[in-house]
Amino acid sequence: MRILVVEDDENLNRQIKEALEDADYVVDVAFDGEEGHFLGDTEPYDAVILDIGLPQMDGLSVLEAWRRDGRTTPVLLLTARDRWSDKVQGIDTGADDYVAKPFHMEEVLARVRALVRRAAGLASNEIVAGQIRLDVRGGRVTVDGQAVKLTAHEFRLLSYLMHHKGKVVSRTELTEHMYDQDFDRDSNTIEVFVGRLRRKLPDDCIKTVRGLGYQIDGD
Amino acid sequence: MRRGSIAANVFFFSALWLVAALAATAFLLTELYSRALDDGLVESLEFDIESLVGVSLTDGAGNLSGATLSDPRFQRPASGWYWEVRDAGGSAASFSGSLVGSILPETAPISPAQNPQISALKDGFGTRLRVVKRRISVAGSQFDFIVTGNLDEIYAQVDSFRGQTLVVLGAVGAMLAAMSALVARFALRPVTRLRNALERVREGDAETVEGTYPSELAPLADELNELLRSNIQIIERARSQVGNLAHGLKTPIAVLRNESDGRKTALARIVAEQSDKMSDLVSTYLDRARLAARTTLVGKKADTGTVLTRLVRVLEKIHKDKSLTLVLPPGGTPWFRGEEGDLEEIVGNLLDNACKWAKSDVQLTAEPLRDNTAGLRIVIADDGPGLSEEGMSAALKRGVRLDEKTPGSGLGLDIVKELVDVYGGKLEMGRASLGGLEVAIDLPAARARAD
Repeated sequence: MRILVVEDDENLNRQIKEALEDADYVVDVAFDGEEGHFLGDTEPYDAVILDIGLPQMDGLSVLEAWRRDGRTTPVLLLTARDRWSDKVQGIDTGADDYVAKPFHMEEVLARVRALVRRAAGLASNEIVAGQIRLDVRGGRVTVDGQAVKLTAHEFRLLSYLMHHKGKVVSRTELTEHMYDQDFDRDSNTIEVFVGRLRRKLPDDCIKTVRGLGYQIDGD
Repeated sequence: MRRGSIAANVFFFSALWLVAALAATAFLLTELYSRALDDGLVESLEFDIESLVGVSLTDGAGNLSGATLSDPRFQRPASGWYWEVRDAGGSAASFSGSLVGSILPETAPISPAQNPQISALKDGFGTRLRVVKRRISVAGSQFDFIVTGNLDEIYAQVDSFRGQTLVVLGAVGAMLAAMSALVARFALRPVTRLRNALERVREGDAETVEGTYPSELAPLADELNELLRSNIQIIERARSQVGNLAHGLKTPIAVLRNESDGRKTALARIVAEQSDKMSDLVSTYLDRARLAARTTLVGKKADTGTVLTRLVRVLEKIHKDKSLTLVLPPGGTPWFRGEEGDLEEIVGNLLDNACKWAKSDVQLTAEPLRDNTAGLRIVIADDGPGLSEEGMSAALKRGVRLDEKTPGSGLGLDIVKELVDVYGGKLEMGRASLGGLEVAIDLPAARARAD
């Protein structure tokens, strides 16, 4: 899962980035509205954390521009203004959720998790596909109740496939959502990770759809 | 502050002037009347002398013993109407019957420059007399003709005239004084209006001093409005600075809080503690600043239905997994009498809490209050775990104000309670039919869409 953090305060930006990375997300950061808008416009993020008070272009304008251009990426607004009229304005502009500063990091993590999950059309924090259970909140994977140890990259890969279970996910899409913008996209590492995952999981749970990509069955 | 009264001063000075003017008028009238009477008397006495002289001349010999005047007053004894003819030696050649033998007191000798001579005398009975004396030569010898009239009669007439004049002028004066009191009060009515208009501003029933005023007061009203406007501007500026400061602090507090989170050192614990404290202070004082800025609520009203619909739309988006039902009365929802933002704050916080705790269903209901008061009842119910009796009474505890609240009480209920209080409303909690908590708030309603 790849997240964009747009926040002009460098410390806060770094803290959010670190917290998200600890939760196995891939994170890109931007420090002003224009850069944030450009990234959100060109990269496929699974969620965006967007501060309202930004230099160059304020958060609401960035959000408005994205929505006008048809970008439906879930957006979590961060703001110091916490009156309901501000929340109404933010949500009506197209935000999906709202966190008032100063927040606790767990709050932001929980909201991001919910946004990603909702975007995938899932109702709970636990995604089940056959014998595999993935606990989004705890970052745990079990097969038939037995815990499976995964590396961060393996977890990200499985998590993305599980969030989109039943759908065929291309290698490019996986690369885009698993690595930040500076990653060399031509490598074949995805194949390597899929191979490692297959060894830790039951047979045939990750199917290869020739020429298209990978798929985890819905049930 | 209070010194004298314009109305009383106007009345006092106009009454004083009236009394002086009327007294002078009375004096002048009486004086003129008295003089006219006296002049008339002198004239008739001169005529009487001429008659006497005429009678004397018809005699032709200077014998005046037969002289007489037809006016009966000259015959009535001691009437004050006398005549006397004196020869050059000063002895009475002839006199009227009214003198009954006595002789008029001597008057100043007549001079050729003053002929006839007019003077005043008192007779032996104390009656004041007007005296006309004329020296005439009859048949070669000189005679002084003296005729007197009763001056007391004239004085009596003047006195009675003075009495009547005083009564009439007194009545006129009283009427004028009453009139001036009325005029003073009438003229000062705009002052009372201005005071009432200012009072409405103070009570929060108006934002500016309204109405049109006479040219003397209009500048005062304009100045008052300027003062009010500049006061509001100053308050607004101060408020927005406080707001900027408070909102600006939130990011650094968030950084401190996050930096200390999850670390076990003593420094981290202190930073966490202090940043929590700062966060509470910031939100408490922001709330208080908002409440304190609420000087006028008058004329403010909000479309309850629109506000609730908007909040439901927003919360449905935030809490996608909860189902929100909005129930509005079929006959139209009463409008809220107050600021739209306040209604949003009250309902938004309660509804957000309900959504957080609900298992799946939240119901928001608005209805007119059933009793006769112009009120609006909003009920928020959920199917969550609810609150115990103790929990409810703790949450509703009265008298705990924002400035006394304990840190971290956090349900957003403090600002809700405070706002409901500001509007003189009521907040109740109970068990919802859905199973969870039900919060009912009564708020003042405005006449729907009237103006």
